[in-house]
Amino acid sequence: MKLDDCSALLGDTLVSIVTQRRPLLRLSLAALSCLLSSALPSCTGRIADRPGELLADRAAPEDDATPSGDGAPPDARVPVTPAFRCDPAQTPLELPLRRLGQTQYINALDHAVRAIDGALADETRTAIAPIIDRYPQDQLGASIDGKHGGFSSADQTVQQQHIDLSYDVGVRVGEVLTRDAARIGRVFGACATDGNAANDAQCIDSFLDGFASRALRRPLAAEDRAFYRNAIGGRVAAADLADLVALVLTAPQFLYHVEHGAAVADRPTRFVLDPWELAARLSFHFWQSPPDEALREAARSGALATDAGFAAQVQRLFDDPRTERSLDRFFREYLWLDTLPALDSRVGDAVFDAFRGDVTPTGALRAAMIDDVLASARSTVRRGAPFAALLDDRRSYARDATLARIYRTPAWSGAGEAPMFTEPQRAGLLTRAAFLSTGTSNTRPIIKGVFIRMGLLCDPIPAPPNNAAATPIPMLEMRTTRQVVEALTEADGTPCAGCHSSLINPLGFASENFDALGRARSVQRFFDASGRVVGEAPVNTRSTPLVSGSDPRPTDDAVALSRMLVESNRLQACFARQYFRFTFGRLERPDGSDDCALSRIHDSALAGRPLAEVLRVVAMDPAFRSRSFQ
Amino acid sequence: MSDEPFFTRKDRRQFLKGLGGFALAIPFLPSLVAREASAQMMPPPNRKRFAQLCTAHGGLWHSNMFPPASALTEQMPFKGRTARRGDLRLSAQGTRTGVSPIVSAAADRFTPALVAKMNIVAGLDIPFYIAHNTGAHLGNYARNDGNGADGMMVQSQPRPTIDQIMAWSPEFYASTVRRRVMIVGNRLTYFWSNPMTRMGTIQQVDGTVDSLELFDQVFGPIMTGPARRPVVDRVLENYRRLRNSTARLSTDDRRRLDEHMQGLSELERRLSATVSCGMISRPTRGSLPVIRTMDYGRNPTSQAQAYQLYNDVVALAFACGASRLAVIYADPTFSTFAGDWHQDIAHKAHLPGMVEQRTTLAAHQHFFSEIFLDLARKLDAITDADGTVLDQTLLVWSQESGNHTHENQSMPLVTFGGAGGALRTGSYIDYRETSREIGSRFQGTPEPRHPGLSWNQWLANALEVMGIPRAQWEEPGGGYGLPRVGTDYRAHYPAAATSGLSDPLAYLRR
Repeated sequence: MKLDDCSALLGDTLVSIVTQRRPLLRLSLAALSCLLSSALPSCTGRIADRPGELLADRAAPEDDATPSGDGAPPDARVPVTPAFRCDPAQTPLELPLRRLGQTQYINALDHAVRAIDGALADETRTAIAPIIDRYPQDQLGASIDGKHGGFSSADQTVQQQHIDLSYDVGVRVGEVLTRDAARIGRVFGACATDGNAANDAQCIDSFLDGFASRALRRPLAAEDRAFYRNAIGGRVAAADLADLVALVLTAPQFLYHVEHGAAVADRPTRFVLDPWELAARLSFHFWQSPPDEALREAARSGALATDAGFAAQVQRLFDDPRTERSLDRFFREYLWLDTLPALDSRVGDAVFDAFRGDVTPTGALRAAMIDDVLASARSTVRRGAPFAALLDDRRSYARDATLARIYRTPAWSGAGEAPMFTEPQRAGLLTRAAFLSTGTSNTRPIIKGVFIRMGLLCDPIPAPPNNAAATPIPMLEMRTTRQVVEALTEADGTPCAGCHSSLINPLGFASENFDALGRARSVQRFFDASGRVVGEAPVNTRSTPLVSGSDPRPTDDAVALSRMLVESNRLQACFARQYFRFTFGRLERPDGSDDCALSRIHDSALAGRPLAEVLRVVAMDPAFRSRSFQ
Repeated sequence: MSDEPFFTRKDRRQFLKGLGGFALAIPFLPSLVAREASAQMMPPPNRKRFAQLCTAHGGLWHSNMFPPASALTEQMPFKGRTARRGDLRLSAQGTRTGVSPIVSAAADRFTPALVAKMNIVAGLDIPFYIAHNTGAHLGNYARNDGNGADGMMVQSQPRPTIDQIMAWSPEFYASTVRRRVMIVGNRLTYFWSNPMTRMGTIQQVDGTVDSLELFDQVFGPIMTGPARRPVVDRVLENYRRLRNSTARLSTDDRRRLDEHMQGLSELERRLSATVSCGMISRPTRGSLPVIRTMDYGRNPTSQAQAYQLYNDVVALAFACGASRLAVIYADPTFSTFAGDWHQDIAHKAHLPGMVEQRTTLAAHQHFFSEIFLDLARKLDAITDADGTVLDQTLLVWSQESGNHTHENQSMPLVTFGGAGGALRTGSYIDYRETSREIGSRFQGTPEPRHPGLSWNQWLANALEVMGIPRAQWEEPGGGYGLPRVGTDYRAHYPAAATSGLSDPLAYLRR
């Protein structure tokens, strides 16, 4: 894997430098890459609220405050500027004809067949598994720089494989559902096998009212019925019915979110979704699945078109356990959890083995670390805590014994109250192992810094220049990771310092009191090439992270940094952006036309509302309930 | 591994045993293939084939990758440079024979006859800082990791890749094929979201890592059940109905429906295509079980086995004319190295005297002998007209970087096959201006970087030798691929070297 060259590469260089006591470092390309992350003019350490926008570029004088330099902490509760400026008259340009994501597609297939018969759904799932295995996985998109973070919901490419395989699936499901006369009778009714042609049309209509209506997520109009009926010549032979199934499961209304909307009197560019369209949007957002019967009934009755009825359904859907899988996906992508490297690739290496001691990383440990973060998010939602609680949650959700040992807590059973961290320096996301582990014997403060800056604060980091000079930097023995990073990237006159000393490194240094497996530490040990401990040095976590342009306060560690992030309000603004991107599958428009939806999420988070409420609020926004047709 | 053939054919077992992947220690038997294949396989009028295997990281020292400079015996002025050429000659290296430390293999497999069908080319450059990428191999520079400002800048200027340009050119596929391009791996090949109209967005064309899936794409009936009249025409009508309805849709909604319908048309076309090798049956084993073995990541033997299975499918498809394009991303390490290759090997391979260069040398040597040469040998074992399929093929090995990872000067190019007589073969060609050095970012490396010619010119040459008219791909200033010379590079690339990029490359073309 090619991790960001301004972060991972340096970290690995440091493994050999710091842990193997090379007296002189010849700058490797890893280090070079860090140098490339350079002092562009924009890397001033002054942060804006809108991605791509620097405070210096903005006119509002109150935004342009510079650090006082006297060390006196300002009132950090005063936001730099309103993060979003809602203009209800603006209509954002929306993604056209979104397709179902991979998970949504699979769930939709299952949903359509399961309504007939659970056992039949299981059989169908088995039958199509070889095809589904080949269905393209959604790639991350809608990240601010095209390579860090992003959401799979933003993958709207339609590959030939999508078309081929959805066709294969449709045909295969048709075969399964018409396997023999008994099966046909079960799926289509006795009218399909009674040899009486007089009721064939009724038989087909019955199928269209049931299976097709669920699959296409709305009742079929007369012309739709006519199309499907005519497409199979009005016959109910097994092959015809199999074709009918295939036609439904390849229909645009099955594979895409087809929305036509309805005109709004005073909004010529905006069209409200009809109840069926809205039901689909709701259920795919919260469940990654089509509407259930209750939601369909709300659409059918018109209740969903009322504010009260809509709110009731939002609450019901959110409270359903199926929401968890959607939220898991959001937090997994929002927090870059899949970038956690393999933890076991260096087992057997002398230095790594010496570093890890009696902790043997496995694939299961990596999964456990990711689940620990997701469980924290779930717990925050369930117990009604605000979003900011993620940053200071002191519960250990380690069900894996190795992770529990790393946390020095008992293993959690997965039910009931999770045990609390006992180490004072451990609290919240930035001190969880998934954020700290690297798969090497060394920490990667640059990666940590990049994640906080880009993932949690939504600040862009400028592209490194091409022409950074490669100057060998003599490295002395017994330098901590931080010291090496500082020497390589923060030295006066190097092109690195502009970004690294302000935007990146200080954020990553704050958690250097944890090692590369997430274990708390106060010193960093050094090893020779054989794994022998040859020394140690105290770690330093104090830094000035410049969370916002007007805040020059230093922090002592990750706990303090987390507090500062919350107090800055910028964390919440970025969260609003990220949740928006997840929901709508795209970046927010630079013209501010999405600011109403963003401000609604942001305001809710900022007000300390429960995370569950913040996550629901997006559905209440007019943007969620309507679309434009430019 | 078992000797069980992967392709089983009920009545011509011997032929198929030759296509048996792991059994390729017993080489393809040209006489058997010729005798049987010539009757079965009816190549289309355009018989040219194109396959490119792309490896990651790069960073192979010139002295390891290329023959010695003394092999260059001819020279001529060319595009502001001095182009040099020499005959490729095998020399023994222990039990191996080769033309360079990396381009070597067991003596009984890497023969003079094969060497006469290959070229090794140095001095083809990307004259800006693209660094890590997967797109440059085939001409989409926008697919890069954004390691520098240049790379970030070009990310907004994607191009279709040359394999897709060939695939959708009526001059290349005059008749129907089941699969336009066989693609192994991802992020290599790109084309318009509406390929027929060349409109929409330029997006990735997905590949697979499952050789059985690859086989199915090319040969399989899409469905395994009893044959039924495809319903795809009615599926298409269903989309057309919505597309042309009066229901409210945005312009882009309709564009998306158009793209989907284009894909359905492609599906319909494929369903009606016939494969002339009618007696081939599905392989009994595929690459996935190999890839999923616990130690695959550090087992070069397993890695080679997986890629040999892809090679089998490609060779068979080329033999049958079922597809004549293949792109394979060969991104395993081909090494027993257990750590992070990119960080620990590729990024340190420039360091003199270090183990990293030796490790990368061994890995690429393994790739050449066990995978790239394997495919060349398989294609050369199949008779086609008065020669072999390899003679009709342009088989390419390209690398992500030049002699230092992150740098794209002198990206090694190794080819087999004459592209139906369009290429002169048996040459070592060097376009580098060795009297000029580009300042190295790599302190202590024993190898400098020398500027050469543009990779865009190679891409254009590849398209042209495959018979694709310039009107279908040529950039306004000539050549193929985003024309760009980075600010830091301008002093090293005279106008002559970066203009006229559709011109035939010296010593390469007939």
